[in-house]
Amino acid sequence: MEKQNRRIIHVLIFMSFLFLSIIVYLTYFETFEKDRILTSSYNRRQWEQEDTTQRGSILDRNGTMLAYSKGTGSKQERIYPYGRLYSQVIGYNSRAYGKSQLEAQYNNELLNIWEFSPIAGLKNILSGEPKAGDNLYLTLDHKLQKKAEQLLGSKNGAIVVMRPKTGEVLAMVSKPDFDPNSAQLAQNWQDMVESDVHPFLPRATQGVYAPGSTFKVLVSAAALGNDVGGGTYTDRGSIVINGMEIDNYRKEAYGKIDMTQALAVSSNVVFAQIGVELGERNIRDIAARAGMNRDIPFDLNVSVSRFPYGAMDKTDLAAVGIGQGRLQVTPLFMAMVASGIANEGVMMKPYLVDRVVSPSDVVIRTTQPEVFSRLISPEIAADVNEMMQSVVTAGTGKSAAIRGVKVAGKTGTAQNELSGVQKNKEHSWFIGFAPADNPQVAVAVLLEYGGSTGGKAAAPIAREMLRLGLSEG
Amino acid sequence: MKAVGRVRPVYLIILVDAIGFGLLYFYKKPYDNYILLAGLAAILLITLGYLAIKLAKLGDGYLFLIAGMLSSIGIIMLYRLDRELGFKQIIWFAAGIIMFFISCLLFRALHIWERLVYCYPLASLLLFAVTLVFGRSIKGARNWILIGQFSVQPSEFIKILFVFFAAGFLSRYEGKLDEAGELRIGKLGIRPVFVLMGISFMHLGFMVVQQEWGTALMIFLVYFMLFYVFINKRIYLIINAVLAVMGGTAGALFVNHVRIRVDTWIDPWKDIAGKGYQITQSLFAIGAGGFFGTGLGLGRPDYIPEVETDFIFSAVCEEMGIFGGVAIVLLYFILTYRGFKIALSIKDQFMKILAFGITLIFGFQTFIIVGGVIKLIPLSGITLPFISYGGSSLLVSYISMGILQAISAGPSARRAVAETPSTGNAGPAISEVASSGSGDAGSIEEAADAKRAGSVAEAGESGGVSPSGEEES
Repeated sequence: MEKQNRRIIHVLIFMSFLFLSIIVYLTYFETFEKDRILTSSYNRRQWEQEDTTQRGSILDRNGTMLAYSKGTGSKQERIYPYGRLYSQVIGYNSRAYGKSQLEAQYNNELLNIWEFSPIAGLKNILSGEPKAGDNLYLTLDHKLQKKAEQLLGSKNGAIVVMRPKTGEVLAMVSKPDFDPNSAQLAQNWQDMVESDVHPFLPRATQGVYAPGSTFKVLVSAAALGNDVGGGTYTDRGSIVINGMEIDNYRKEAYGKIDMTQALAVSSNVVFAQIGVELGERNIRDIAARAGMNRDIPFDLNVSVSRFPYGAMDKTDLAAVGIGQGRLQVTPLFMAMVASGIANEGVMMKPYLVDRVVSPSDVVIRTTQPEVFSRLISPEIAADVNEMMQSVVTAGTGKSAAIRGVKVAGKTGTAQNELSGVQKNKEHSWFIGFAPADNPQVAVAVLLEYGGSTGGKAAAPIAREMLRLGLSEG
Repeated sequence: MKAVGRVRPVYLIILVDAIGFGLLYFYKKPYDNYILLAGLAAILLITLGYLAIKLAKLGDGYLFLIAGMLSSIGIIMLYRLDRELGFKQIIWFAAGIIMFFISCLLFRALHIWERLVYCYPLASLLLFAVTLVFGRSIKGARNWILIGQFSVQPSEFIKILFVFFAAGFLSRYEGKLDEAGELRIGKLGIRPVFVLMGISFMHLGFMVVQQEWGTALMIFLVYFMLFYVFINKRIYLIINAVLAVMGGTAGALFVNHVRIRVDTWIDPWKDIAGKGYQITQSLFAIGAGGFFGTGLGLGRPDYIPEVETDFIFSAVCEEMGIFGGVAIVLLYFILTYRGFKIALSIKDQFMKILAFGITLIFGFQTFIIVGGVIKLIPLSGITLPFISYGGSSLLVSYISMGILQAISAGPSARRAVAETPSTGNAGPAISEVASSGSGDAGSIEEAADAKRAGSVAEAGESGGVSPSGEEES
């Protein structure tokens, strides 16, 4: 009997564990899982809310209407007056296909859903007025956004323009894009889902690319912080490290140059050596400080920019020194790096939604600028800033120069899986900011498989964005 | 229990019912006065039942209250889902309470239960045969029979018959389960443990043929726990575990129904419009509720298929929140805990196993269906005891609860008296236990108990189980 009772207690403990697991799982589900699933188009509840609530509008920083709902109740139609222009930022809101991007992330605000909304809604029930969701004012500037879209034109790629001191995103365009209005969405859905250019992939936030020579900005910062790369190097256009040959663009030999000149001409030979000299710990440190291998908190989902190395040998260090190897970054991340240098070494958290405003124009929530990461000291940032200015004044980035304004920048021409087998498939990059002595605008431009250098293809686009950004500022 | 003070648990139930039915009254126009009547009826039934248990000194004072609370929540939820179902459920609830007292009194009055060992599997077999021949298919599985205008689900009754059989068999062959030749079928001597296994697997087989995977799993778990507690030779436990793993794997691989359930458990989003529809709709509901729920009548639990029966827990979570759901899980946990306490303190082996088995049924049934609808384990449709809509389920739950109540009250006066003339008519099970002379403290104490006068014995026993004054201040 004793033995049996003891075993009954074992079963009781087992049973307690089962019940506890239910409670723990429910809490876990509610805390972590549910936000991810609730916006599914199969969840009819969200349309339930939509039928009784006038969905909020989305406006740019100056009040330009970017998305609004026409009609009332279940007859509501979501209108995107600028069609494809904001498709990769605002996304779509469709009964048939669900919600994406800001329409999904801010669904609760747009429909005014929160824990006490049933109580708050009593007034509307009594007065008979339809409930209305909150409006979003974005940090985007319609003029800049339109310009960016024009500049990309038919090329695939992304442009991100930010305010380096706050993290506000002024423009964010990804190509290819799509028309998010319901009728067009329905018409093109099947083609777009099956398309191999992936029009639903927002390049700016979720496209990952080798950073190419733009990564040399981070390598320079690390070198300055660790007393590496102080002397001069002899650049013969090509160098063999650990059995791997590393060439400059067109094997150009620059002779005796220091690190500033090396950055200006984007010497792979020099930066491969600096990478090796820095060593694994310093390289890994600067990547971590920049926020690689880490989620970037943002109003949209952002792919993690990866530094996917275990133990690194000299070949790996040399490859990372010139931004190749297995590095993977998003255009948003590179815009944040440029902003970080511009903002005296402090990377700000990027944001898209400036404020949430109630239908009666009461500001419910304003986003405050926050620090994302402290990349380098202000002194080192000032040095990197100057080095980046010489890229534009005397190096590969001349076509980013603006008369009367000091521009800092860095070009990049990134090899990728296609450029190895086909000619002219490199990605073209440019990151930069202006004015260099008091940075107001930072930019990252990426052209996918453009086959041209960053200096030729991406830098002129960046120049136009910076110029307009400054005049808007 | 002094800490409870003047707030008796029964007041809490009255409060919950008053709030619940009061809210339902205001929920829909035109106001329905019958809802208030129904609420009053529920309160009255629970209070009267509780008083009856207290006055008749029928043992544990909590069992009935917990069942009453769960049924109240069930009725409120069903009423909110469908007025007609709510009314029917109240009638079933009243019938359930009547059956509770009938089974409680019958169980105490008659002393034939442990002698009927083989009648239980025969009854199960009969029920099974009737289902096969006259069965109606409802929702795919042929597991209903029509009696008049009622549809009855025999599997609900089979599970309780199985526990009776196991209790009778295990107590009859206590200590001799592994002795060859102890049990004779014709001239063939056979180890009782094999007969137990055979008949148990027969029950399991019934469920598999009727495709009641949830009930099959539950019966197996109960059976396995009985083996763990009451059979000393560990080899049999291992054999059963191996059989279970083999059977489970084979089922998951080769039986289409089981495989689909496992697949949709692993990834329901893959076929969200088809096989994953039920579980994803359930998850949407739980997610929509959040921690505090949308409020009674403000959610859309009607989007969930089979919400009145299998998925009622999701509906509760949507409208009463995770906190409501956790509260219900905790109520079941207290119920199981009380059941284990009764099983631990009872001396009579048959009663002990019976109490243990009934408690396990409540516990596992709750875990299987709640775990299923929240996607903690693969979904297999069974009812949530006391809450789900359905006469069969509710009646069987209350009958089982009545038996548990009877056991908690200790041996009745008549039983104690009847045992006084010693082995004469106390039934084979008890006499065998006593004569086996295993030095078991329980049987000696019981014999001593039996020699005392009836009322004294009762007071002594019930003091050990659950003092009737326990929750009085």
